[in-house]
Amino acid sequence: MGAFFALGIFQGAVYGLLAVGIVLVYKAKRVFNFAQGEFGGVAAFAAFYLVVNLGLPYWVGIVGGLAAAVAMGLTVERVIVRPLESASRTIMLVALVGVALFTIAIIVLLGQPIPRVMPPLMAGTGLNILGAGILPQQLILLAVLAVLAAAMAWFFKTDLGLAVLASSQDTRAAQVVGISPVAISRLVWGMAALLGGIAGLLYAPVGIFTPGFMTLTMLVPAFAAAVLGGMTSLPGAFLGGIAIGVVQNLGIYLLGQQLKVPGAAELGVFALLMLVLLIRPQGLLGKEA
Amino acid sequence: MATATMTFARVKVQRRFGLLLRVTIIVALLALASLPLVLGGDVWAQRISRAAIYAIIGLSINTLTGHAGQISLGHQAFVGIGAFTAAFAATRIGLPLGFGLAAGALAGMATAAIVGMVALRVTGLYLALVTLAFGLTAETTIFNWREFTGGGAGAFAPRPEILSGDRAFALLCLGVLALVLYADWRLVSTKAGRALAAVRNDERIASTLGINTTGYKLAAFSLSGLAAGLAGGLFAHWNQIVQAMDFEFQVALVWVLMTVVGGLRSRLGVVLASAFFALLPLTLPNFLAGLPWQPPFLNEAVYHVLPPFIVVVMLLVVLRFFPGGLGQLLRPATRWLTKGGKR
Repeated sequence: MGAFFALGIFQGAVYGLLAVGIVLVYKAKRVFNFAQGEFGGVAAFAAFYLVVNLGLPYWVGIVGGLAAAVAMGLTVERVIVRPLESASRTIMLVALVGVALFTIAIIVLLGQPIPRVMPPLMAGTGLNILGAGILPQQLILLAVLAVLAAAMAWFFKTDLGLAVLASSQDTRAAQVVGISPVAISRLVWGMAALLGGIAGLLYAPVGIFTPGFMTLTMLVPAFAAAVLGGMTSLPGAFLGGIAIGVVQNLGIYLLGQQLKVPGAAELGVFALLMLVLLIRPQGLLGKEA
Repeated sequence: MATATMTFARVKVQRRFGLLLRVTIIVALLALASLPLVLGGDVWAQRISRAAIYAIIGLSINTLTGHAGQISLGHQAFVGIGAFTAAFAATRIGLPLGFGLAAGALAGMATAAIVGMVALRVTGLYLALVTLAFGLTAETTIFNWREFTGGGAGAFAPRPEILSGDRAFALLCLGVLALVLYADWRLVSTKAGRALAAVRNDERIASTLGINTTGYKLAAFSLSGLAAGLAGGLFAHWNQIVQAMDFEFQVALVWVLMTVVGGLRSRLGVVLASAFFALLPLTLPNFLAGLPWQPPFLNEAVYHVLPPFIVVVMLLVVLRFFPGGLGQLLRPATRWLTKGGKR
């Protein structure tokens, strides 16, 4: 049981990292970004190509992967998000689902749907934490999540971050005082893509990865984490991610291993999501509106 | 006086001629659409069944998203529950096909009503998230429940003697599709349809008009689930075996995309787009592999991942350039064809 707890914390770190990007886009644009996971997918596959296929040094892979993710973020912003700015939020959500599926299709077309193994950032055997083998990569992941959540919380205190919030609240009024909605939109999507890229780069070396690995299994828990945290709170996204990871793994332990219920991980996440939305829709750390 | 009579007569003749022309064109189009069923043999009969089932699913999503303005990213759960219920009724209980389909439809409706009841406490984007999470849970938990669905091996759903032929089954699917189309038409043109339109446009204004918004949204959920369960039952007997992997959540996403590409609230658009999306994965790979000239960087494996790619490109083009979907593109033609009937 302790092992499941520890595994949950480190698994939750990935959800938290994705949730930070989701919260950023939601705070700034009131949009549910269903393409957040695929920023990570693109970064991981670009880095894999540079490091493993071309044999370049690891830092080139990281830089290249992040650059690919940011390029994708800016392209999505220009081609999909900005033209649909005035469409309903539901249409925008469907379009972003489309972006995610499109990206997965492109990755499959270019790189065949086979599993790959990415070398880790830091080699080494697993540490024993509460009886679970935790890789150094997962420790890095948790540390990076803490740093990024804090950095993003700080960002929204700076002038630039306040400008993003102002533009989100009233685009026209913000424009009057000199805040360009286009520049803000580019900034937000670029940053979200960078965060997604970091998540993908750090998570890909934990085990094997296949096309769509960030969207198919990570995205729903990440959204649940963001909702649990309050959808607008960055510390909330951090805590929510870890809480979802723990609940998921305790679900696997209690429901799956003890009671033999199939799909225990998904069931746990769904139950927690429903509980939060019905009992405390503003989340753990969220404020009204 | 004489000229006036002549003009009048000419208009009359023209109108009668125009009506004749329109009826001829509609009949010709229907005949053209039924050609594959008549000439295509069992292969095409199977494909037409699949297209009809997809069209029912498209109309089911259209009821929820198009008419009521609610989104569901977990529709494969309702379809899947309908399919497994129909299979369960056919093999374990031994009910005749009609009762099995009805049981599937009712199961889909009950599930959708329960999900709707919970989901309607959240709005808009959160609804998308809740239905997506529910779909995932259904896929991994309910569909892998061994007593009900046979676990990974799947559940069998044999067809009765009279429908064992693929052509007979295609006719059944088309008949159910016609029924669903009729229901959709009646829904839109009655008070309930107008109430749903009011709810879709602005819930607060709708409630000031005395419309029970929650009730209508729940009704839309239930109706959508009913059609989805019916489609699931047909799917079970079409494939004759149902497995959990038939209802992965990507399928639900593709269904939503196909409804949007067809054009929300456009019956013809939704049916055409659904049929297209249903047939694309079956026909495109064979078609490309049979071409005399093969592009150097493509091969059979790539052809099988092309359909989702094409689907998404279509979605993005539709959303970007004509948000009304196929229905919007076809509107001039359909308006001209049905002009006579409206007057």
